[in-house]
Amino acid sequence: MTTSQKQAAQAQDAGTAIALTNCAKTFADGTRALMPFDLSITAGETLVLLGPSGCGKTTILRMIAGLEFPDAGGAIHFGEDDVTRHSIEQRRVGMVFQSYALFPNMTVAENVAYGLKVQKVGKAERDQRVREMLEMMHIDMLADRRVDQLSGGQRQRVALARAIAPRPRVLLLDEPLTALDAKLRVRLRTEINALLRKLGITAIYVTHDQEEAMALGDRIVVMQKGEIAQIGTPQEIYRAPKTPFVADFVGASNCLKVDIENGRALLGRVDVDVSRAWNANPATDGLSEIYFRADGLMLCAPHDAHFTATVEAVSYLGEKLRVTVAGIGNDAVIVDTDPDSVVRLGETVHCRLVPEKLTMFAAN
Amino acid sequence: MSMDLDLKEGRSRPSLLSSFLTPRAAAASPAILTVLLIPGLVIVAAFFLIPLARVAVEVGNGPEGWGTYLLILTNARYLESLIQTLAMSAGVTMMALVLCAIVGLFLVRNRFAGRSILIGTLTLPLSFPGTVVGFMVIMLAGRQGVIGGLTDAAFGAKLVFAYDIAGLFIGYLYFSIPRVILAVMASAEKLDLQLEEAARSLGASRFRVICDVILPGLMPGLISSGAICFATAMGAFGTAFTLATDIDVLPMVIYTEFTRNANIPVAAALSIVLGLITWACLAAVRSFTGEGKSLPVRGGA
Repeated sequence: MTTSQKQAAQAQDAGTAIALTNCAKTFADGTRALMPFDLSITAGETLVLLGPSGCGKTTILRMIAGLEFPDAGGAIHFGEDDVTRHSIEQRRVGMVFQSYALFPNMTVAENVAYGLKVQKVGKAERDQRVREMLEMMHIDMLADRRVDQLSGGQRQRVALARAIAPRPRVLLLDEPLTALDAKLRVRLRTEINALLRKLGITAIYVTHDQEEAMALGDRIVVMQKGEIAQIGTPQEIYRAPKTPFVADFVGASNCLKVDIENGRALLGRVDVDVSRAWNANPATDGLSEIYFRADGLMLCAPHDAHFTATVEAVSYLGEKLRVTVAGIGNDAVIVDTDPDSVVRLGETVHCRLVPEKLTMFAAN
Repeated sequence: MSMDLDLKEGRSRPSLLSSFLTPRAAAASPAILTVLLIPGLVIVAAFFLIPLARVAVEVGNGPEGWGTYLLILTNARYLESLIQTLAMSAGVTMMALVLCAIVGLFLVRNRFAGRSILIGTLTLPLSFPGTVVGFMVIMLAGRQGVIGGLTDAAFGAKLVFAYDIAGLFIGYLYFSIPRVILAVMASAEKLDLQLEEAARSLGASRFRVICDVILPGLMPGLISSGAICFATAMGAFGTAFTLATDIDVLPMVIYTEFTRNANIPVAAALSIVLGLITWACLAAVRSFTGEGKSLPVRGGA
């Protein structure tokens, strides 16, 4: 890191805490986009809003930005400031969009300088700050380029530099990597992560990609149909999903419908002890759904097996072999195994559940 | 049955002509392409180049010879007419751009009952010849016009402005609006709302957003439709003719010199000057908006 980059990092405002209280959103046509919710984001935290399209995650982001306003009764605070009725111009937020939204009639440097110019920062200071931002994003050599001469990754770097340059109180990122190809997405994700930590800025990041959410979030908010399904650290969300939706949405999940009796799942000919499932509750006997990821089931020797199943598909993923098997429950089930093992299509395999890695919910 | 057979044979053995007419064959052979171009070239020559050359030559045949061009630029009446026409066209263009930018943006951004009918009505003048537009201006602001009737009833004096510069201006504006509004709406549809949100997030006021984001986004549409508007106004004749206005616009002067005074060299020289100015305007716009971006077809009024 050069001296100017260090200065840039130090000069950045310390993060601002954000609190949304009793916020709901009903659109003009009567659609209820968000049910009333509370959400606090601590200063400097990176919070990821994760969910399928139409779940309300972008509406929350736009509410924090000041592009949407909560229904009567809702309140939004930036630190001590009540910004509920402030428009976006007054909130000092930095925004990064999926479509980059760079000004096509300006050069890279002019784009980055725009927020400072609007705030009437003097030319010398502005130029200095733009230089720092461009250096920090490793795009200083592109300063005089037109926006349409840049690649997608370069554009998003410019968009980040532009958003950060005026020292916003919060950085809002709306699916910023979705338009990029897979490899670049991972690289830029790592860079954004490092940048957010370095700046210590409060950031809210919207995505539908659970891997991105896990990689970036201090905490993840999983959204479902206008409601918060779960808030937690990536580990909590992944290992201890609180609803079937979270279990299913975060990570490739398998689901079996089973009858539970006295802590044992009755699976056709066998019954499996599920009392060690992390959320096992002796009271929840009856028809249940057991969720588990590819590591919640393992291929094993015939005498240890809970099931036999038929191999339907095999994908070699480098670090593991992903096997899709049929014959356990109604749907096909995914199981990961040693990448060097030999598994053939149509072959009969033996599997057993790993009770510690199961999540159980009462079936509807 | 026999017809069926014929058809099948026809399909399996394509005629020589059909093989010539397939796009692939045409693309493959420059010779065929040239042959196909002949009708177009003939029309360009017969109805465009030949009359144009003839008009240009007529100037030289007059008593002043090629000096006629100098004459029209030094003769007070012709020069005044040229300046008036330029000023009128520029004024109408500016006014049309301002009005249509606001209305076009509003129409694209808002949905309300009767919106499509309103858009249809705004484009209606495209279907009227200039004469009808002039007639309508007289009905509005002429001696027997609506405005005159109202002001007469209210103040005892008729307000009549159909026959002076205001009437001409309104007429020109009326037939210019559809050309500009359609182009503005096409540009406005393509404006990226997120650009405006990005500017606002950086603290830009509504006014700055208009200056820094919306206007630059609309600019290609404004420039090209402004050029069309200007060119159409430069050449408009029917409206001025119907209004029998006391403003001598250039097309009217050409008409008078040609039909009444039989001053063919001057009429020809004025025609060439009018054409050159309009052409230069369109060419300048083409270079402004970038070569290859096509301009909408010019319609007469």
